[in-house]
Amino acid sequence: MTGSRPASALGRLALQPWLWAWLGALAVWLATIAFTRGQGAGEVLTAAFTFGTFFVIVAIGQMFVVTLGPGNVDLSIPATMTLAGTVAMKLMDGDNGMLAVGLLAALGCGLAVGVFNYGLIRLLAIPPIIATLSSSFLVQSTAIWTNRGLRIKPPSALADFATAKLGGLPALALCVIALAGVMHIVLTRTPYGRAVIAVGQNPRAARFAGVDVDRTRFVTYVQAALFAALCGFCLAGFSGGAALNMGEEYLLSSIAVVVIGGTSVAGGFANVPGLWGAALFLFLLVTMLNTFGLGAGIRLILTGLIIIAVIVIAGSSSRKREG
Amino acid sequence: MKSMIFAAAAAGMAVSFAATPAPADTADKRIALSNNYAGNSWRQAMLRSWETVTSQAVADGVVAAADAFTTAENQVTEQAAQIQNLILQGYDAIVLNAASPEGLNGAVREACGVGITVVSFDGVVSEPCAWRIAVDFVQMGKDEVLYLAERLPEGGNLLEIRGLAGVFVDDAISSGIHEGVAENPQFQIVGSVHGDWAQDVAQKAVAGILPSLPEVHAVVTQGGDGYGAAQAFKAAGRPTPVIIMGNRHDELTWWKEQKDATGYETMSVSIAPGVSTLAFWVAQQILDGAEVPKDLVVPFLRIDQDTLEEGLADTEPGGVANVLYSLDDAQTVIATAQ
Repeated sequence: MTGSRPASALGRLALQPWLWAWLGALAVWLATIAFTRGQGAGEVLTAAFTFGTFFVIVAIGQMFVVTLGPGNVDLSIPATMTLAGTVAMKLMDGDNGMLAVGLLAALGCGLAVGVFNYGLIRLLAIPPIIATLSSSFLVQSTAIWTNRGLRIKPPSALADFATAKLGGLPALALCVIALAGVMHIVLTRTPYGRAVIAVGQNPRAARFAGVDVDRTRFVTYVQAALFAALCGFCLAGFSGGAALNMGEEYLLSSIAVVVIGGTSVAGGFANVPGLWGAALFLFLLVTMLNTFGLGAGIRLILTGLIIIAVIVIAGSSSRKREG
Repeated sequence: MKSMIFAAAAAGMAVSFAATPAPADTADKRIALSNNYAGNSWRQAMLRSWETVTSQAVADGVVAAADAFTTAENQVTEQAAQIQNLILQGYDAIVLNAASPEGLNGAVREACGVGITVVSFDGVVSEPCAWRIAVDFVQMGKDEVLYLAERLPEGGNLLEIRGLAGVFVDDAISSGIHEGVAENPQFQIVGSVHGDWAQDVAQKAVAGILPSLPEVHAVVTQGGDGYGAAQAFKAAGRPTPVIIMGNRHDELTWWKEQKDATGYETMSVSIAPGVSTLAFWVAQQILDGAEVPKDLVVPFLRIDQDTLEEGLADTEPGGVANVLYSLDDAQTVIATAQ
């Protein structure tokens, strides 16, 4: 990634770790519209951007966490989404004037969960996987306790924004594309982003180089929880209210999007463009298998096999790059 | 009001029971609820129904205690350990919503072995010593197609939204739907997706498959997914088909809005979460020495165009249309099975 190696533009492109997710997304999209003989090609893409948006929001936070190095992962994302969504919807109670308050409340939930997570990891020295998993039970129980399964409609302004389209693309997706652009700069151009990568590659070396490892980790876990809270807020606005199981499928997907997007599971290497490619790929993959009309068992097996294939191909290309 | 809905739901089994035996025989008995999952609105309503009915029963001195226990992780091993704890705590009966039809049989057999009455409902267990209050999910799926055959005599294209892959309820409802379609060949299932009984999952799955489908005339569902399907059709700019609903408050609210705006017609069917209270009374009856067949069937709770307002008024926001069962209802169900 240093760019010092002489190579043709095409050769450099082929070495980009995010390329494979995008190629995978393109391939399954083409397979889908080949099956339907071109019917609904555009609509499928719009739907992919609509739902990919939510994957990308949580995956950005998860990517920074995973990049911190082996063992770093945030398993409290689904519970945080649910808590933020339910608390915000309950507080706003459908009132447009409360929109800012609701958003702040959601982010407040995220902030609290993030600080609590890192407290468990740092002060009690609990491994991140266990710490975030156990805090997710507390958070999910809090969500159940605060709203007892109530589904409160979002304020009309939020619902309109979350479902609005600009020139065929969902407005929310455009915002999240911009957000991904900002986070790309944060990752590659700011001291914080470089510190995350340095800590992921070697925390001791990073410390000797003057990186505040604790602060970097703290900010990263809080950031992941904030993105989860933001996603819960937007998703509740989009799907007409918060539900207690709204975050369920974002646990594995948030990790899958990060890994398929070409971020190293071992930490130290990350990229943002791959997140969008992987989010589109995952949605289009399920859509393709649904369109083919295959049974649930075969669908799940194929989903697993195709994801493994993409990771293996992307992994072997990045080994070539490093080697 | 609740009993009016129940009357509609139980129209098929109108057996009158006048005599109520004295409840005093079970006054010193303790009943526990072992529940495997609490993370959706149906289960929340199920637990609240249990709380409402049993706290009254305890206050009335019908039973000594009726405590509810829910496992955190929806795991078979965890619930088996929980049942063993309940055995040690000396409950007289365990009312059970099981995480698996077979996985808990060992723990259930242990309970039976020390003389504890085990009544499973909703998620029933196959162990012969336990009672089962089962739902005829196959019939539920078939009823959806039978309704559509009346509504759309010329037939049409169906989109099927299934539940959670690998759960027997999903297979049962789906096989009922397919049975119904086989008997009514004017219908074709043109697409099938898994909605996991959740509005947002259903919305996503339907939005993905819709562009590739021809015109869809009706959507057959499993409950918890109708509102999400409606949202997906709206977002795609397609005409709204007949979407079978599943008694959720958001589904009924949406139906009511459409009914008022355009005269939209459909039906809604599901299982009332209050089935936990039916299981409670059945357990109480068994402890009281009543002769109860091992296999009982819960009536569906069905809402039609003319009972929509009533059903919606009785459903709390965010909840599921519900019935709190009484001792009389339990005796009716038992008598029907005999």
